[in-house]
Order: sequence, then structure tokens, then C-alpha cells
Amino acid sequence: MAAASDFNPFQAPPKGDNTFARITDNVSRIMEAPKPPRAWYIAFGIALSMLTIFFGSLGWVVWNGIGSWGTTMPAAWAFPIVNFVFWIGIGHAGTLISAILFLLRQNWRTAINRFAEAMTIFAVMCAGVFPGVHIGRPWLPYYMMPIPNQMDMWPQFRSPLEWDIFAVSTYATVSILFWYMGMIPDFATFRDRSTSTAKRVAYGIVAMGWRGSSRQWHRYERAYLILAAIATPLVLSVHSVVSFDFATAQLPGWHTTIFPPYFVAGAIFGGFAMVVTLAVPARQFFGLKRIITIRHLELMNKVMIATGLMVGYSYGMEFFIAWYSGNQYEGFTFVNRAFGPYAWAYWTMISCNVIFPQLFWFKSIRTNPWTTLVIGMLINVGMWFERFVIICTSLTRDFLPASWGYFIPTKVDFMTLGGSFGLFFTLFLLFCRYLPMVAMSEVKAFSPAGGHARGHLHHGHDDAHAPDAAHAHH
Amino acid sequence: MNKKLRVVTSDHEAAAAPAADVAKPTYWRSLAELEQSPEFRATVEQEFQEPLEQLPPDSPARRRFMQLMGASFSMAGLAGCRWREDKIVPMTRRPEGVIPGTTTRYATAMELNGVAVGLHATSYDGRPIKVDGNPLHPDSLGAASAYQQASVLDVYDPDRSDAVTQKSGDKREVATFEAFDKAAKEEIKKLRASRGEGLRVLSERSSSPTLAALKDRWLAAFPLSKWVVFEPLAHNGRAAGTALAFGKPHRVHYALQEANVILSLDGDFMGSTFPFGTGNARAFIKRRTPEQGEMNRLYVIESTFSGAGALADHRLALRAEQMKAVAALLDAEISAKATPLPEQGPAQPKPAAEFLNDAKIAKFLAAVVKDLLANVGKSAVIAGPHQPAEVHALVERLNVLLGNVGRTVFYTEDAPDAAASDVEALKALTEELAAGRVQTLFVLGGNPAYDAVSDVPFAAALEKAQFSARLGLYEDETSQAATWHVPAAHYLESWGDARAYDGTISLVQPLIAPIFGGRTAIEFIARLLGEEPKGLELVRAQHKDRLGDDRRFRKAVHDGILEGTAFERVSPKLQAIPPVKLSDREAAATVANDQLEACFVACPKVYDGRFGNNGWLQELPEPFTKLSWDNAAIFSVATAKALNVVDGDVLTIALNGRTIDLPCVIVPGQADGSVKLAIGYGRTHAGRVGGKVGTDVASVGANVNTLRSSAAPFVSGGLSVSSNHGPGKQLAMVQEVYSTDQIGKDGMAERLPELIREAPIEKLREEPDFAKHLVHQPHKLNLWVDPVSYEGHKWGMTIDLNKCTGCSACITACQAENNIPVVGQEQVARGREMLWLRVDRYFSGDPNEPEVRFQPLPCQQCENAPCEQVCPVGATMHSHEGLNDMVYNRCIGTRYCSNNCPYKVRHFNYLNYNVDVIGVTPYTPTDDPKMKLKSMVYNPEVTVRSRGVMEKCTFCVQRIQNAKIPAKNARRALEDGEIKTACQETCPTDAIVFGDLNDHKSRVAAEERLGRSYQLLGELNNRPRVHYLARITNPNKELA
Repeated sequence: MAAASDFNPFQAPPKGDNTFARITDNVSRIMEAPKPPRAWYIAFGIALSMLTIFFGSLGWVVWNGIGSWGTTMPAAWAFPIVNFVFWIGIGHAGTLISAILFLLRQNWRTAINRFAEAMTIFAVMCAGVFPGVHIGRPWLPYYMMPIPNQMDMWPQFRSPLEWDIFAVSTYATVSILFWYMGMIPDFATFRDRSTSTAKRVAYGIVAMGWRGSSRQWHRYERAYLILAAIATPLVLSVHSVVSFDFATAQLPGWHTTIFPPYFVAGAIFGGFAMVVTLAVPARQFFGLKRIITIRHLELMNKVMIATGLMVGYSYGMEFFIAWYSGNQYEGFTFVNRAFGPYAWAYWTMISCNVIFPQLFWFKSIRTNPWTTLVIGMLINVGMWFERFVIICTSLTRDFLPASWGYFIPTKVDFMTLGGSFGLFFTLFLLFCRYLPMVAMSEVKAFSPAGGHARGHLHHGHDDAHAPDAAHAHH
Repeated sequence: MNKKLRVVTSDHEAAAAPAADVAKPTYWRSLAELEQSPEFRATVEQEFQEPLEQLPPDSPARRRFMQLMGASFSMAGLAGCRWREDKIVPMTRRPEGVIPGTTTRYATAMELNGVAVGLHATSYDGRPIKVDGNPLHPDSLGAASAYQQASVLDVYDPDRSDAVTQKSGDKREVATFEAFDKAAKEEIKKLRASRGEGLRVLSERSSSPTLAALKDRWLAAFPLSKWVVFEPLAHNGRAAGTALAFGKPHRVHYALQEANVILSLDGDFMGSTFPFGTGNARAFIKRRTPEQGEMNRLYVIESTFSGAGALADHRLALRAEQMKAVAALLDAEISAKATPLPEQGPAQPKPAAEFLNDAKIAKFLAAVVKDLLANVGKSAVIAGPHQPAEVHALVERLNVLLGNVGRTVFYTEDAPDAAASDVEALKALTEELAAGRVQTLFVLGGNPAYDAVSDVPFAAALEKAQFSARLGLYEDETSQAATWHVPAAHYLESWGDARAYDGTISLVQPLIAPIFGGRTAIEFIARLLGEEPKGLELVRAQHKDRLGDDRRFRKAVHDGILEGTAFERVSPKLQAIPPVKLSDREAAATVANDQLEACFVACPKVYDGRFGNNGWLQELPEPFTKLSWDNAAIFSVATAKALNVVDGDVLTIALNGRTIDLPCVIVPGQADGSVKLAIGYGRTHAGRVGGKVGTDVASVGANVNTLRSSAAPFVSGGLSVSSNHGPGKQLAMVQEVYSTDQIGKDGMAERLPELIREAPIEKLREEPDFAKHLVHQPHKLNLWVDPVSYEGHKWGMTIDLNKCTGCSACITACQAENNIPVVGQEQVARGREMLWLRVDRYFSGDPNEPEVRFQPLPCQQCENAPCEQVCPVGATMHSHEGLNDMVYNRCIGTRYCSNNCPYKVRHFNYLNYNVDVIGVTPYTPTDDPKMKLKSMVYNPEVTVRSRGVMEKCTFCVQRIQNAKIPAKNARRALEDGEIKTACQETCPTDAIVFGDLNDHKSRVAAEERLGRSYQLLGELNNRPRVHYLARITNPNKELA
């Protein structure tokens, strides 16, 4: 990526005379370097421009009305809700990696859990924008909150949209707590290594007085475990609840009981795809290859094969049930999906989500970071189209043929979709630069030097506030 | 206040009077006002943003403002029609009978093509907001077509002409009424001297007895002048045909309730473009209720789908040209059996047309002949208005021979000039103008410069007249060429009279003073003649023998009609009709591309183009194409295939050496080889809706008048079509085009029998509740307890699919009643039309011999409503009477309700349509008086929705409340039929019934109990409150 003259300090071997020190240095120097690599600037510039487009397009929509989007009748939901479900789905891998894999003692997760969590939070933020602005009167979303008021307004709790509000906000809260708590020891490391007062104060505040005492580690690990236990059901519940938006409606193509597991599998599938999409460049540009290894990528690719097959099975099962039920509307919807006016979208989805991931059966492909990146991106495209297909094909041809239509997006639709990636990447790039991208303390615990192939997270390695101290384990 | 009134009460001369002449007020609010001190007068002038004094007396802004104010005050005089003076006074004392904030209905009438339809106009605080049919009027019987429904919008059209204009070089300059009157007076003085040499009056067809009398006085005063009548869609064919059959032109009237068998040859006899269409529809459907008596049988042979064709038991699509051979064959067959008298002439020889030998056509016609002969005296044969005289003559001959005259068919004498072609009359006048033989021309209404066919260059010829004055509602294409343009008054601003098709005299009464100071045709002519130019006086004087005393006059104004004024029915003697000659094309079975038949038809939306600036009508979907905001070339499936064209293709259409470009739309059921082209589009001076050159408002559609010729103005052969195969046009259709993908077609075909349930009458007799058991009804378990027990009223609706002709008058009625915004072509193309009531159109059967089905679809007001369950904010709730109420100010616009509505009857304000498209709402303050004017058409009882909220049919909840409150005050129960929804009230075929399902004696409950009633998608357990009555046909077994 960089020319010979374009020296990248991050590619140099990390300093330190033992494994722990080198891990600390490898991660911390990203924050400590006076300048990030040029690729970061380029990426940040692009992300910021897209973010500007995002807010510009949303401003346009709020000012003129949501008719600026192509959303129409009968497709009263289109791009904004597709984007919402897509981003919520992306936000699944993080908590899955942090919580479920933690509880299952999958220690390889430590290399990737931090930025997977960050990705989760940013994805949920991107998703959270849409329910608020997609409504016709974007200045009134608070009507959906159970806020006591003099207008005698109260939410209507039979509506799945109301359930969404609680599911998504709970998920966002727990994810942020989990993410933040995990970062506290690493913030302390940053604080201790800081060379400027400003940084020391800033990281000191967010480190909340962490000193790395045994008692603190003890409390920390307990809390981490409890939060993981709380977060675990949320991984399954959030996308299940989101799927209820569709499953509880009586629209053919939405009204299916398979949706909750199908959505969760799809979300994990898409979430992992996004993790590899981010991990491959990040390890390349910030010199984290020693921490995020090929083995990590391979394990994630295996998860993707598994979840991809679940998704593929769901696609097949939908068709089977549509035929088996004997319901003419249901049957029509699925034939129309595959061979009707939106066949192009359907087959894009099938190729990206079912066909291309099968390449991961080849070891050479799943252990190559660049093929992983390409397939991961294809899966992202496929998962976006999955939501598009579910929403738009079902809505545009429902019960009465006289109300059928066809949805055509406008420029503003594409600006909002592209712009949401701007928000995501802006936040992610800022995270890479200023926050501990890898959970140093956790990685150390499971490094060969840590001495635990499995078992507890930490045993009082209070190196956090003495990174270069001579804790020679060898 | 006083100042305003001083100006308004005075006439135009006084309006220009200096302010110094203002007398001291009798009533005063302050000493300053009493004294009229200079300071006070300065204050008064500052009261309005534009000081009135600074505007020229006749400037548009000033006039508009004053007329508007005048309009709101004028109701003092109009209430109950018992004013003595023509003064306009402030409502400091409330006149008797006027309660502010309530509505009052006044009878009036609207004339179209020389036929009046009686109406009831609803007035709210002095402004008309809604038009409905007058139940006493024979042409209306309480129904009103889309034209009449939408006419109220034209009253407040800011593009209406608001000032006299005078041609000045290439431009037109604003002038005054006084200037015109002065110029006209001088002109008339000269003409009196020359006894009318070189003077012509060009009038649209009018049935007004007052205008007829004025015409006689005019011709007496100017014996050398001519009075030319031109109506673009005149029914000359019928008049000429009856003249051929009976020696004199006659009008034909039907009593279809007496007919067992009806045959229509290209005649949409229930349509709004057919004279007496509504009356025919009401009579026809009396025999389409299988529960009440024997059903009639309708055969329709037509070139393009019509409402009659939609209800036909048997339909045959033939080119319009082929009707002549069909009529001749029918006469040959029936005369052979019915043995005409010698003076009635011999039968037509069997026509030598090869298509008649086609097995299918021959079988059809043989069955028709047999059925007609089996129902002698109980049948009716009807011909379409644009069929040639021979076809009309033969059709009336059939009616005579079949013994129908006096039983199902009646005749009255028509005007002697009715048989002469209006197109020829305009052509002759144009030639006179071009030759310089006409110096003075007065044009009353119409729009001949636009309506003239291609070989009648009227607009260019009009420029040659030295003095031409055009009285028109709009400063349109015709006014551009005239030396003077004078604003006309809308019929809702006019006093006048007109005759129904059967001759009954209707009174036209104003609902508002002319907003732009327009004059009516009778006032215009009377003023030129130097007579008293007041419409009311003219009308009263005309009918003084009938309306002499006030009591009778008041009753006539109240009823809207003068009873006993219908034409006398006559029994004309049938004469021999010479054998018809068939041209090669008329006898041909098929026609090649350069010989295609062009059928120029009246548009069911803009008529001949006169409603081109009416947003409601432009946005109304055409019943068969479902196309709004455009005209198109309509092809049959086979013709389109042969020509290799598809929906949306832009085609170059050539006829008589002239070409235009039109998009292609395929409609199954169009006759092969026949192309339907709707007249009335491509207006260049319509306004900001229909198009205006020199502005950024493009014309809507293309003007097909440029293809028509005076030799064959309505049906013409020799059309050729070529596709430029460029990018297709995005058509603003509210339903998908017919030629959708195969999967869509298959899906439609599969579900259609369940959506539109139908059966022949025999099946209904065997299995009266077949419609209920057509679809498997799974177990219906409710997730929720019913929120309401419906102890009081339980509103419901039934829609009889056996009666709907698809005419779409209900859609416009709903739009007018419920303040539904016009969204414009681009938004309709996107699928965002707001019409609360749709009329779904489906084709079924073989695409080459299809049937068409209409299904009006209002909100189904489900008891177990899917929309209510998914709204997160409770913006759509169930009322105690079972309505799905929309709480607009609670709605945040998640649109989930629409997604979960299986009928997709909800509409969403994606943009602020009232402001963005109409330009104003009642809630947005504006200083522009024209914008303010537009908001006057709003129904104050219905909330105007802003952007971002969902809306849908409410079962006209405001009408329900308006009936419930007086009933409650009077401590009486509501009677069945007291509440009529807007769609129900205007339906010409009475297909929609609304009422209380808890009242077991109500009509709606009785219809709901019928075996053939069914719920649309009832298997979803939504429990819709609208029940459809299955369509029952009465087919001829021989054609099965």
C-alpha cells in the first residue's frame, strides 16, 4: 500500500523485551504515534465526505418530506428500513463475539472482540438514525416513547415497532456498557503511557481510576461475566424482535414463523462478514498482523460458512413452506421473488449469500486475507439485498393486483444509504486512532506468555499501569 | 369596513370614483371614522398591504380582492333567493335562514353539449364547495358525473380569466369592461345601420330558452347576420339519422327498465358523455338486481371498452366502421321476420361484408337477432353518438319494427338545425372569415380555436375579423386570436336556464357573485342588444307566464326545475331508408397499419378539453387504462403485437398527412385495428394545470384535433403508426399496465375469481350463497378481544359489482368532499396518488375477447383491523361505531399501517401536497389573493392533512355526524338513507349503499344478508365492514 518513501511506523516490529510489552506497544503506538498512516487520512477523508452527504441528504429529507426518497405506495417501507435492518444485523457479531464466545470460552475471540464490539455500537448508531428520520414527521419520534404527557398520548404496545424501540435501545445500552467496561484496563494503559497532559487527563477520566489491583481485577471479571450473561440473550432477541416487524404483519412474504432464527443467523453471518471486512485492512495498515492472525480470520470464515448455510437453508425452507402451505398468495410471493420483476435482486442475494461463501470450503481461500475481504464484502452486499428483497418484493405485490407497484429509488435514497457508511466509517476510523483497537489485557491473558490456554480471563497481571516493567516470564 | 363596502356596492363605474366622494358613514366605530379625518383615511389605506388607492381601479389585484370580499358578503342576498335588491351588504344583521358555519344546498344546473343536468350545490358561508345531483331532475336523479363533481373546482381556479383584455399588436393588454362596452356599442351602432352585414355570432350549443329568445331578437335586429352553433362533440349523427328515418331530426329516449334485451352499437348509453346517460343508468340497473324481478340482457358491440361494455352479458369488439354492416345485417334479418309496412321501405339487402361470415361474429349476431325477436316490444337498440346517420337510422328502424316505440323507446322532436354538422358549420364560418366576408364576430363560450379540426384553421381566420369579442371562462386559445376577450361567469355564478335532454327546463342559480366579474352569455348578448343586462331579470322575463308570481318562482328556484316542461313525445312515421353503401374498409375484416381506424372520443376526464385546467379531473384515472394526466393511443393486444409496440412506447401517429407523438397503452377489448384517441389534451393556453405556453407548465398530453378532418371528425380510417423505439414514457398510471410480466399475469388470473366473485343467474338460483363459499375460510381466532361491542350504530357498506360501470364519478365526489390533494403527474407516476377511493379494474378471460371487472375499493373499515394493531402511536383507532378513525395529529407517519393493510387503501402524504402542489392550505397564511382563492374550495368539515401523515377513507364521518346531531337534537332515531356517503350519493347506478348494520330494516343490512354478498379477503379474518355483492350475469345459453 505504501511506497518505499512512505514509511509506515506501524509496520516496524513492536518494541519491548517480552511478549506482554510487545503486545502493549503494538496496540498503544497507534494512539501514540504523532500521525496515523496516510491510508488513514485518505480513508477518513472519504468517510467524512460521505458523512457530510449523509447529513445533507437527511436534512433535505427532513426539510422537504420523505417523498424525497423513492418510498411510495405500496412500498411504504423501502431503503430506510432496509438500511435499518441491515445495520442492526451488522451489529450482531460484536456482542456475539464478546458475550457468547466468551461464555463458550472461545479464547481466539480476544484478538477481534474489541473492534467487533466497536463495530456493533457504530452499526447500531447507524441503524438508530433510520427509525427516527424515516417517519413522515421526523420531529415527533418521541410519540413512540412511553413518556407521561398532557396530550393523553401513550404508545400502542401491540405494535412490533414499539417492541423494536425497547429491543434496540436495550441492546445499544448493554453493548455500550460492555464495550466501555472492557476498555477500562486498556484506557489505564493508555493513560500511563501518555506523553502529554491532555491525553493523560482524558484517558485518566475514562479509565475511572483503574490501578490494576487484584480487587479491581476481581470485580472487573465478575462484572464482565455478568454483562456477558445479560448480553447473550440480547444477541438472539434483538434481531428476533426486528424480524417481528415483518413476521407479525399479515403480508405474504413477511408472515412467516421462520423469521426470528433466520434473521439471527443472517445477522451473525453479516456481522462476521463486516468484521473481516474491517479486520483485514486494519491489521494491514496498523501492523496488527501479529495479534489478528490468519487463524482468527479462518475461524471467522468458518463461522460464516456455518451461518451462511443456515441462511441458505432458510431461503429454501421459505420456498418449501410457501408451496407446502397451499396458500396461493404465499406461493405467488415466492415465485414472484425469484422470477418476477425483482429477480435481479433475489439472485444477487442468493449469489452473495449462498454461492460465494461456499468458496470458504477451500483452505487456501479462507486463509487468504484478501479473498476473505472480497467474499466478506460480497456477503455484506448480499445481506443488504436480503432485506431489500424481503421488504420490497413482498410489499410491491401483495394481495390485490390492482395495488401492485414497483419501487424505484431516487438519488436521495442512494445518498442516504452511502452516507450511512460514512457515519460508520468515520466513527470506526476515529476509534482506530484514539481507542485501544485490541483488548490488550485480554490478549495477554491468552498469549503463550500468559500461560493460559483456557481458564480465567486474568490472574492479576497488573501490567496495565506498568507496561514496560520487567515482568519477565521467561 | 365602510370603505370596502362603498367600493363593492357600487358598480364598475363607481369603483373608479375618487375616495373623496365617500359619504360619511351612517355607522361608525370611532369619531375619527365619523369625521373622515385625513389621518383616519391614511390608517384605513394602510389596513391592507397594497394600498387600494395605489392600484389602478381595474387592476387584477384590486378586482380580485374586492370580488372575493364581495363573494363572502353576497350570501345575504342569495339565502333563500328572496332578495329585492342587487346590493351587497355586510352581515351585521344575520339574514333569515343563514346560520354561519352550516351548509345549505341550492338547486342549479350545469349545461354540457346543449344538455343540462340538474344539480344541488352545497354552499358553506357563501361559497360553493360541493356539487351533487338534483334528485328531482330527470337527467340526474340525484347522481352527478365526474364533470359536474369537479366543476366546483373551476370556480376557484386562479387561472380563470379575471379581466377584459384587448389585442394590441402581438400582445394582449388588460382593459376594462367599460372600454369594451364602449367599443362594442360603437360597433353595434354601425351594425344596426348595416342590418348586420358581416356580423356573425359563434355560440356553443345551448339549450337555454332565454338565449334562444335573445337569438331571435338578435336576428330580428340584424337580419343579415348569422348565428353559428359549434359544439365539438355534437350529436349530429343521431339527429341526422333520425332525420333519415323519420324525415325530421328527433331525440331518442329510452325506458330501459322496461327492456328485457338491450343491444348497443358502439354506444356508452350510461356514460357521462352520452345524453341522458345517468337517467339511462338508473333505469338500466333496475333490471340488474337478481333478487328483484327478471334480469335484462345486454349485448354490446363496440370498438372500445365502455361502461356499458363492462356490464354487458355479451360483448363483441368490432371497429366503429364495421357497425354499419352490422346494422344493415340486423335490419335484413329482422325485417324478414317483422315484415315492415310498405311505406316503411324494404329491408336492407344482406351486406356484402366478409367479416360477417366469421363464425364467431355470425353466431353472436344470430343470437342477438333471435333474442330481439323473442322480446318484441321489450327490447331496445341503441347507437353511439358518433356513429354515422345511416347506423342511427337503421337502429331506429329496428326499434320501430321491433315494436319498441312507445314502450321502451320514445322520440321527441329535435331542433331542425340539429342534423347539420357542427364541424361543417365552423368550417363554413372559417371560410367566410378567411374570405374577409365577416367583419364582426362574437364568440360565446366554447374554445373553437382549439377544438377546430385540422382542415379548419379557425384561429388564423379569426385574426382576420376587424372586431371579434370572445366571452370565455379562460383566456384560452380562442381568446388569443380575438381582438377582445371578456371574462365569462361560471355557471355557479350565473342566473340562467337550460333544458334537460327530455326538455325539462332547469333553472341555473348562482351560489356566489362572479368572482372575477364575469358575464353570462345571456347578459352579454342582452347588453349588446341594449337590453337590461341582468341575468335574473332576463330569465324571469323569459318565463314570466310560468314564473310570474314570486311564489311559483321561488318554488322553481328551490326545485331547480320547471315541472311539465318536457318535450312532447311523438310517434314519427318510419320512412324507407336507402340501402347503405359500404366502403372497402367498412366491409373489411382486418385492416393494415396504414389503414387503421382512428376513433376520436370525448375524454371521460377533460371532455373536449374544456376541463383541461381542472386538477381533479386531470388526476382522475381513466376507467379502462387507469392512466391519469395524459392521453394515449389505445391498442388491442393483437394490434399492438402486430405493430410490435408495447406499453409506454412513444409512437408517431400519422393521419391525413399530419403526425403527432403519443404513448402507447394496450387495453384488451379494444377492437383490433381500431385506435382510440382521446380529445381534449395538448392545450396550449389552459393554465398552470393543463399547460400554458411561455411558462414552465407543459401541456398535458397531445392534441389529437390536429389529426382530425372535417370529412371524418370522429371515426376516420387511414391511420398509420410507427414506433420510434426510443425510451418509453413513464406513464402516470394508478394500476400496473395490462402487459405486465407473465408471473404477474398468472398470479392475477389465479386470484381474480376470488376477488371478483361472479356467476350466471342460473348458478345463483341453484346455490344462492355460492359467493360465500368460494374461498375456504380457515378457523378464525382473534388474538385480541374486540375493543368495541357496537351497541349503537354499526356502519357498513355494500357495493354491488353487478352495477358498477367504472365511471369514476365516485372518485371525484370523494376528492371534493374530503379535501383530497392533487399530487401531479410525477407523483402519480411514482404511485403516490392520494385518491381515497379507488376503482380497481381487472381484465379476465381471453385477452382477445376479454371481460372487464370494476371493483370500487374504499377503506374496508375492518372490525379486526390490521392497521390498528401495528400503529405504534395509536393514530388509527376503532370508534364505537366501528369506523377506523385516523387521528391525524397523532400520526407520526411510520406507514406500518399501510404495509399491513391487505387492501392498500391508505395513502400517505409523502410531501406537503397541499402547499407544494396546490400552493396553499387554509392554515398557511398567504397574501396572494389567487392562492387564497384556491383554498376556498376546501370542505371546512374535513381536516386538510399536512405532510407526513397517513390518510384514508372515513366513510364520510363528517356526513355521519351532520346527520346524527340534528337527529339527536330532535330526539328521534336516524332513518335509513339519511346518511349518504359522497361516493354513494353520486353513483349513477346506485351501486353503493351505506347505512347502519344494526338496523335490520336498513337497506345495507338487507343487502349484507343476501346470499351473494361476500367480504373481500375475508379469509384473513379482518372482518371488513364493506360487503361486495357478487356479479350476476344473464348470459344467452346459445352463446355459452
